[in-house]
Amino acid sequence: MGLRGWLGRLAVGVEVPVFPVVGGGAREAIQDLRLRPELELVDSPRHAAVMLVVGAFPPGDVDGLAQVHDQLAPPRRTVRWGGEPVASLPDAVVVDGGEDAVVAAITETFAELMSDPDRGEPPILPDVDPVEWRGVGPYGQGGMGMTGGTPYGRPMAERGPARDGLELDRVPITIGPWLPTLPPGLRLDVVFQGDVLQEVEVGPAPIVPGEGSDLFVRALTEPVPIAEMELARARHHLRLLAEILRVEDLAVASRRALRLVHGIRPGATGEVERLAAALVRAGLYALALRGVGRLDRPPPGPAARATGVAVDARSDDPEYRKLGFEPVTVEGGDAAARVRLLLAETVQALELAAKAGPARAGGRGVVEAPRGRLEVGEPPPERTLLDLAPEVLVGQEWGDAVTIIHTLDLDVEAAGREIPV
Amino acid sequence: MNPVVSVLFVGGVLGIGAYVVAVLDRAFGPVSRGPRDWFVWPIRRAAFLAVQRRTETERPDAEAWILAPALLAALAAAGLTAVPVTPSLAVADVSAGVVLFGAAMIIVMVAVFLQGWSPNSLFPLIGAYRFAAMALSFGIPFSLVVLTTAIPAESLSVGAIVASQEGLWNVVRQPLGLPVYLVTGAAVAFWGPFRIPEGTDLAGGAVLEASGSARAVWRIARAGVLVTLSVMGAAIFLGGHLGPVLPGWAWTALKTLVLLAVFVWSGHAFARMRVERFVWFGWVVLLPVALVDVFASGILAL
Repeated sequence: MGLRGWLGRLAVGVEVPVFPVVGGGAREAIQDLRLRPELELVDSPRHAAVMLVVGAFPPGDVDGLAQVHDQLAPPRRTVRWGGEPVASLPDAVVVDGGEDAVVAAITETFAELMSDPDRGEPPILPDVDPVEWRGVGPYGQGGMGMTGGTPYGRPMAERGPARDGLELDRVPITIGPWLPTLPPGLRLDVVFQGDVLQEVEVGPAPIVPGEGSDLFVRALTEPVPIAEMELARARHHLRLLAEILRVEDLAVASRRALRLVHGIRPGATGEVERLAAALVRAGLYALALRGVGRLDRPPPGPAARATGVAVDARSDDPEYRKLGFEPVTVEGGDAAARVRLLLAETVQALELAAKAGPARAGGRGVVEAPRGRLEVGEPPPERTLLDLAPEVLVGQEWGDAVTIIHTLDLDVEAAGREIPV
Repeated sequence: MNPVVSVLFVGGVLGIGAYVVAVLDRAFGPVSRGPRDWFVWPIRRAAFLAVQRRTETERPDAEAWILAPALLAALAAAGLTAVPVTPSLAVADVSAGVVLFGAAMIIVMVAVFLQGWSPNSLFPLIGAYRFAAMALSFGIPFSLVVLTTAIPAESLSVGAIVASQEGLWNVVRQPLGLPVYLVTGAAVAFWGPFRIPEGTDLAGGAVLEASGSARAVWRIARAGVLVTLSVMGAAIFLGGHLGPVLPGWAWTALKTLVLLAVFVWSGHAFARMRVERFVWFGWVVLLPVALVDVFASGILAL
């Protein structure tokens, strides 16, 4: 055994660096994997040894998957968890079963890979230039036909006025849909100037909505237990909080929020309140969120309640009124206000779940879902939020844009669903 | 000191220090599986990175990409040479030691810029420019508090600065100095709340495209910068090798470990700061505090 084989055997005990590619219906499953001590979910394919493909995709070749595969540094392997095999990834190890099964498959695949690093998957695509390279200098400068337009299969940076009146390069680029920093399936076609977004369009999502019934959609047509709905709201808010904390580089607090998702009980608000206090001490608001993404006219829902407007479909529900429900509001309208609201609503939801007992609400054709007002015959709140995204993101620096995307709780998959009439 | 011994000494201190950073990072980090894991994990992780191949991007600046981690490690080593570990043991206790250290730490910006620039990729490039935008905001207060420690010693030599703390450490004499040093030092090492060029929003930023040995060397070099900052912080604020009972080198090691633990802990305790907020913080808070530190020390020295 050579040195590489010996090092490979030594490496087997490390968390397997996994790059997740998330299709429809798999957002929660992949988030739960972040708590598994055997794995480390990484943000760049360059840092991964295993590409994990999970969720529902359209049939045929899925846009960009082969490129992502080839960006993993060798040695690499692919694991497909659940669903149909993906045509773009012919060599993937296919796993059915639950979380334990996929973790076992990934660790086993990684151990095999490390014991014989030369047996990784070869590239899928040919390593050739997209079009003939006609540059002269080492960086392509000076070649005939290498300026303007898309001479090399890549759009060239063209100059344009920036916000401070200077002329700066404008770089068109597509970000997503497989970037773990963004919500699954979100594809942004943007024009950058420096790190400021000058143009933003939300591209088509190459994922298929997952199966499964949504409690809040069911509550449109039939009464469901209030306690169940409120616990679902608390879980949703904590999952979103975990994601926000992750992109703000608070990994310890993010895992704490994620563990709470699985441990919450009606009325048990203490741990959420302690987490809220810890986030203040960690400087989440002061360092990262304050003043970011202030909205003037947000759509009804949490974003509106974070501007101090008490708009909540539960206010008109007689069952909720019996429980003494009053909408929670926070002043400010920025990302900090949205996160404060998220925490306050989580506490309120746990209290309501404790108070509600067996009471049921719903069947009125309108319900307050975690992302806002869900109404029969109207587009879902996720679509309204997604339509708002380009307008809100233009003019933002990239870091702030990521904060806004997460605090607005954009969800491409839910935005694509139809509400039954 | 003999040149060969010097190289081995500096390399050894940085290597051991980088391992200690990795152990502490595991202990304070989100995944901690007990003391045995803290010590074994860095070795396993390094083994994985040694097995993983380096990736190539489309038309990178290949030479600069290789140079960047080497430059970062060299700067950490250069800064370390000026610190006397015991009264008689220093690689090069030159007459302007703190200036040499300050210069090396400010040039870290060039290494980070090269690391972000060279892969020819958008997010690393944004990371590189972010660090360049931050540099002046932490560089001036950092340099001011480091140079202020020379006022009581009436010398720029680190050996003389340590000797001047015989009766009273600078952490007491200049109470504003160490807090500003720790904050700006973390920014020099783009660590913790100042992980701005390598933030999760950029999926790793300057280091997004690096894999295998290139990523390992970059990580070790960055840990080396933290070690150098801690060794120097121990020398110019905590009296370096001065202390009762224990030998001088043991005091240096202990004080360094305390500062290293503070740096590494801060890496997991705070949210990543926005660039704009950091620039505001640098000019409106850190710089005035650093200036008060200079003036107060000057008046005391008169």
